[in-house]
Amino acid sequence: MRNFYLQPLRGLMLLALALMLAPAVSAQDAVELMKQAHLKLYYAGDDGKAEVVMHLIDKGGKERLREFTMLRIDNADGGDQKYYTYFKKPSDVSRLSFMVHKSADGNDSRWIYVPAVDLVKPISADDKNSSFVGSDFTYEDVSGRHWSEDKHTLKDANGKLDGKDVYVIESVPVKEYKGFARKVSYIDKALMIPLKEEYFDKKGEMVRIFRADKIQDIEGITTVTSRSIENVKKGSRTVVEFTGIDYNLGLTDELFTERFLKNPPREYIQ
Amino acid sequence: MKKLYVIIMLPLVFLAAAVQAEIRLDGFMQGLYGGRLDENNPTATEMTASETRLQLRAEHLGENAEFFARLDFVHDMSDTARYDWELREGFLKFRLGKAFDFKIGRQILTWGTGDLIFINDVFAKDYRSFFAGRDDQYLKAPQDALRMAVYPGFGELSLVWTPRFEPNRLPTGRNLSYYNPFLGRIVGEGYYFDPPPPEAKFENGEFAAQFSRQMGNFNTALYFYKGFYKNPMGAEMTPDGPMPVYPHLHVYGASLRGSTLGGILWLEGGYFDSRDDQYGDKALMPNSQVFGLFGFERQVATNLTANIQWQADVITNYDKYEAGQIAMGAYVRDEWRHLLTTRMTRLLNSELVKLSGFLFYSPTDEDAYARASLEYKYTDEVTITMGGNFFEGKHPATDFGQFQYNDNVYLKVTYGF
Repeated sequence: MRNFYLQPLRGLMLLALALMLAPAVSAQDAVELMKQAHLKLYYAGDDGKAEVVMHLIDKGGKERLREFTMLRIDNADGGDQKYYTYFKKPSDVSRLSFMVHKSADGNDSRWIYVPAVDLVKPISADDKNSSFVGSDFTYEDVSGRHWSEDKHTLKDANGKLDGKDVYVIESVPVKEYKGFARKVSYIDKALMIPLKEEYFDKKGEMVRIFRADKIQDIEGITTVTSRSIENVKKGSRTVVEFTGIDYNLGLTDELFTERFLKNPPREYIQ
Repeated sequence: MKKLYVIIMLPLVFLAAAVQAEIRLDGFMQGLYGGRLDENNPTATEMTASETRLQLRAEHLGENAEFFARLDFVHDMSDTARYDWELREGFLKFRLGKAFDFKIGRQILTWGTGDLIFINDVFAKDYRSFFAGRDDQYLKAPQDALRMAVYPGFGELSLVWTPRFEPNRLPTGRNLSYYNPFLGRIVGEGYYFDPPPPEAKFENGEFAAQFSRQMGNFNTALYFYKGFYKNPMGAEMTPDGPMPVYPHLHVYGASLRGSTLGGILWLEGGYFDSRDDQYGDKALMPNSQVFGLFGFERQVATNLTANIQWQADVITNYDKYEAGQIAMGAYVRDEWRHLLTTRMTRLLNSELVKLSGFLFYSPTDEDAYARASLEYKYTDEVTITMGGNFFEGKHPATDFGQFQYNDNVYLKVTYGF
């Protein structure tokens, strides 16, 4: 009788324990995996430089180009970062420079310098979900969304994507966010780089897809040299290609000030 | 004929030079057509603009210095056809050591915090362009200047010396009418002449300085200017009657700008010290004034940015100013003048369409000025813009009231390369 009573109770207790521990353990893993992937994708090296070409392709297949040089410095891995963007094309924005001080606390600062009127202007950077130069990439897509802003769950530790072993992780914003309601990431197990991210809205419909289209080894650092975002709803997509990548150039914080916004550092920007 | 020859040859010389050296060339071709809406406008032509413009930009990056030039060629047929060209920028830029930056030559200069409101920015403006629908870059007129910036580690000190005074460019009555204080009415072409600039002497150069420093979220700055009023604000009695002149001016000011309250906030103040009228009792010279500006901008929704500004200024010796104006039978402004502005910018269709509106309104001058435009980027090269400029005013002598007959709409097509 006693055993008869205790057996299911013990089972129930074990189950409860398992239920309590399992999400905790897998959430912990998921957070750690997302952190690693985030650092690999957005914090490669201590600093970096790249020539960037953005192809903005609309629903009808019409293509527009944005060409710029980008400099980045990391003040702390996963923490503060500074970005410098110098536009080359199209003609109406050529020689325009743009700077972002990304802050770990979420209060980013942005400045633009318009050389034709010698004007430095801070930009109100309230909305990280707004488009970067009219592309399908948001500001957040360019510099990354901090992993602590979402709650992560490991959905599949042995997933497959195009024949590659991946972790499938689901992320839900901690605070309600208009950018997405749910995100599913497919992280390459060997490279620890997200190969694909699917963004869903509140209704559960897929709205955007991020893809790492080309991954190369550059100076010993795994680098996504071509990435794209497809806006499923709008039918548009943006492909970003990186060339001339260089890491650990010894960039200093000084380059990311108003002085160099007005006078692009020609050692790095031609 | 000689001028035409120069106009045709210059771009060719430019191109040849570009091929020779490693010069990067780009620019744009633009057609701008605008017409006045008010039949009472006494201007020489009904076209506020009708011009074809070619802008060539050339850049050369050397080992230790860089060179940049921006050259405009214009065929203007708004009235009698005329060719024109202008070197809008042509400067050499280099760094000396770690702490010095130099920019020498013809250049556009801007500082201060206001959005289309300028207190400590006493650099040349071009209102002929601004009111006629030309691109924003044409609001600023170039100055031949030497600019040095020093970075001692605790801020930035900029010094600008403009050896020859560069005045603002004001409507002449050809495309845009304006108020003539000597005649006491709004006039068209035929009354305008360029007032004589201050003599070419060393002490008549313009000197401007700014010291700025980042303090937390805010960029703070102090300013100083020694030169002349950029508009012919004063008059001198001559045997031929009163002649407009550019009176001596000193400006002392300060500003603050930074992000707070989910947007950008700016404050600026300045004291316009009228050196030719220290006691405010000279009726033909401007009185000293104190200016204050408050502004705030924020993104109110995705792709919608809005700002508001409030500028107030006060005349320091108002009683004497008032007595002088009454004696001359001229318009008497209020002691305090307020100017409110707002800008709205809406981006649509993946930022291909830009809707923009800017409104100036002065409750004390009882005048207003509205700018509106719709811009469509058809391709990376081709941009089509439609816009308008609208003026209201109770008195013909106020800043915007004087342009009340100049309401205009325009169409602009730009091809960038």
